[in-house]
Amino acid sequence: MGVTLTALAVLGALAGGALLTAWFEPKLKRANEPGPAAPIRFAPEPKLENADRWMYLAGPVLVLTAVALGMVVVPFGPGLVGQDLGIGVFYFIVVLDFAVLGLSLGGWGADTKNAIEVYYRATAQLVSYVVPLGLAYIGAIMMARSLSTIQIVERQRELWYIIPQPIGFALYVVTGLMQAYRAPFLEPFSSRIGHGVLSAFGGWKLLFWRVAMSGLLFLVAAMGAVLYLGGWHGPWLPAPVWMLIKTFALMALMLWLGRKVPPLSTARMLELSWKILTPVGLLNVLIVGGLILLGVGQK
Amino acid sequence: MTLGIAAQWFAFVAFSLIGLAGALGMATTMSMFRSGIFLMASFLGVAGLFILLSADLLSLLQIMMYIGGMLVMILFMVLFSHDPGGAMMAAMKMARLEKFFSLGIKPMRMDHGGSESHEQDEGNDHQSEGHHQENGGEQHEEHRSHGEKHQHQRAHHEQQAGKGDGDGQGGHGEHGGHEEQGGHGGMDMSMTTPVKRHAAVLAALMGLLLVGLLLARPNWAVMDATPNPNSAQQVGSLLMGKYMMAFEGAGLLILLGIFGAVWLARPGEHPGTESRDAPVAEDGQPASLREDRLQPIVPGRRRLSVLVPHDIHADRDGDHELADVPEESAADKEQPSEHPHHEQDEHNQHSQHKT
Repeated sequence: MGVTLTALAVLGALAGGALLTAWFEPKLKRANEPGPAAPIRFAPEPKLENADRWMYLAGPVLVLTAVALGMVVVPFGPGLVGQDLGIGVFYFIVVLDFAVLGLSLGGWGADTKNAIEVYYRATAQLVSYVVPLGLAYIGAIMMARSLSTIQIVERQRELWYIIPQPIGFALYVVTGLMQAYRAPFLEPFSSRIGHGVLSAFGGWKLLFWRVAMSGLLFLVAAMGAVLYLGGWHGPWLPAPVWMLIKTFALMALMLWLGRKVPPLSTARMLELSWKILTPVGLLNVLIVGGLILLGVGQK
Repeated sequence: MTLGIAAQWFAFVAFSLIGLAGALGMATTMSMFRSGIFLMASFLGVAGLFILLSADLLSLLQIMMYIGGMLVMILFMVLFSHDPGGAMMAAMKMARLEKFFSLGIKPMRMDHGGSESHEQDEGNDHQSEGHHQENGGEQHEEHRSHGEKHQHQRAHHEQQAGKGDGDGQGGHGEHGGHEEQGGHGGMDMSMTTPVKRHAAVLAALMGLLLVGLLLARPNWAVMDATPNPNSAQQVGSLLMGKYMMAFEGAGLLILLGIFGAVWLARPGEHPGTESRDAPVAEDGQPASLREDRLQPIVPGRRRLSVLVPHDIHADRDGDHELADVPEESAADKEQPSEHPHHEQDEHNQHSQHKT
């Protein structure tokens, strides 16, 4: 496949995934719940007095770019991947950081009281999830002995990593919710600040935010399926179908669990992250190391 | 996947341009926030060059470090800076380059003086200052002739202007230096300094020297071996094997650095000034994280009650009547609605009015 064709296929997959997510997510939510999927009407652009115009534009564009770049390494079948990078999973973590950057730039650029608050909160959220998220990835990476998404899925042919590593999976569910700004961790999109950037943008930019935020949730769930649920492996059905089923099953689980907990403020999220999730993640790494020495998941 | 030679050149030029333009923008833009973003862009350009050199792991590490790190750094800068968005600075007369990199920033109108401390600025002693800033260079001559007097006034003014006027003060001081050296500036508070031109020449010369040295170096070793696709694995085993002591030692040093920072940041006993004590007194007994709760999303779920000891809040507010109102209201009074964490705020404040 040529580069252009691959790029188009990746964009198509992103559009499809985001669309499915946008259709699926509201089914699990109350009518006017805050969050990146909050029901806000598409409106013309609000008048912003002091906007830093270039930063304002960069926000939605950068977020969508980040999500599209992250889509490149998500595999939907053997060989059905944008590009099988040798360091695919690490690339994925890094590239999704651009989404935080986009959120910050958009929030700052809009220069309304609420939008700037988004920048502060998104950055604090980044600080709180980045370490436990990395630790959640490391468990699967250690067992697969590879950073390539294709390799990680291949090594789970016999044993999905959720079975030997339930702690790692739980950690991924929590940190994934933080990364996707979903239910208990929706501070940057809280209704108290007018749904964050969503109220400061209109027109095609708002559409970009919507697609990017749905795509982000889709990516997070898909990567969870790759890391812990054996990716495309499964009987009878073709590989991409299994991948989609697992992705949406994980998404449903995450959203459902997330809504069971009252929303956490940024301070409490940081507390949770550094006092609980990070030690648990380190413990998981230790356990997984022991399991590997015992030969679990190794051929 | 290998790129054609044309594509490689194109990528090289593009990434180099991003790196250079980012650095230039960082130094010339009026917005501190943009300055940080430009620096980030510059590092991302360098990361692109790393990819061209087939050092993909290094490149991704660079991106990861600089996006997260820079965002947090900018956040701290915004917290402590007087004019992080550059609206005030953008109202000054700017050089062409500065203007280019500050495109899209809406200048603050000086006659209205959107910021409090700046209003103070103008109201204080020099009327001509505000006027001067608007008209830029035209007032230049007059300004210079009054240089001595202005400097005097400035010294006076700097004492009066409270803290938090960091940018303004810096600009004034700089400008004072200007006039002493018979500088060419008429741009008050601008980032121009008389040595800028010399510095630019010096930097260009240094750059030329470096490029010259590189070109003059004989016998470039050219390798056409394909780079190892498992470089990440190799780096990993080297870090955990051969270079383990150095790697872990660096980690230990960083940990010690963190301990040191925490130790330095602990509350001290040294005497402070009034202005320094004010925020300390305010944060002397911060509300515990336990009370920092939000309303549950799922309806019908029992709201988590906010339990705050009376005495703390009564003391902090200096309002002892408050101790009598229900606990939730006391908590909310003490954290006014600027804190959007509290979903209950509005709610409770209404009820408080009734009580």
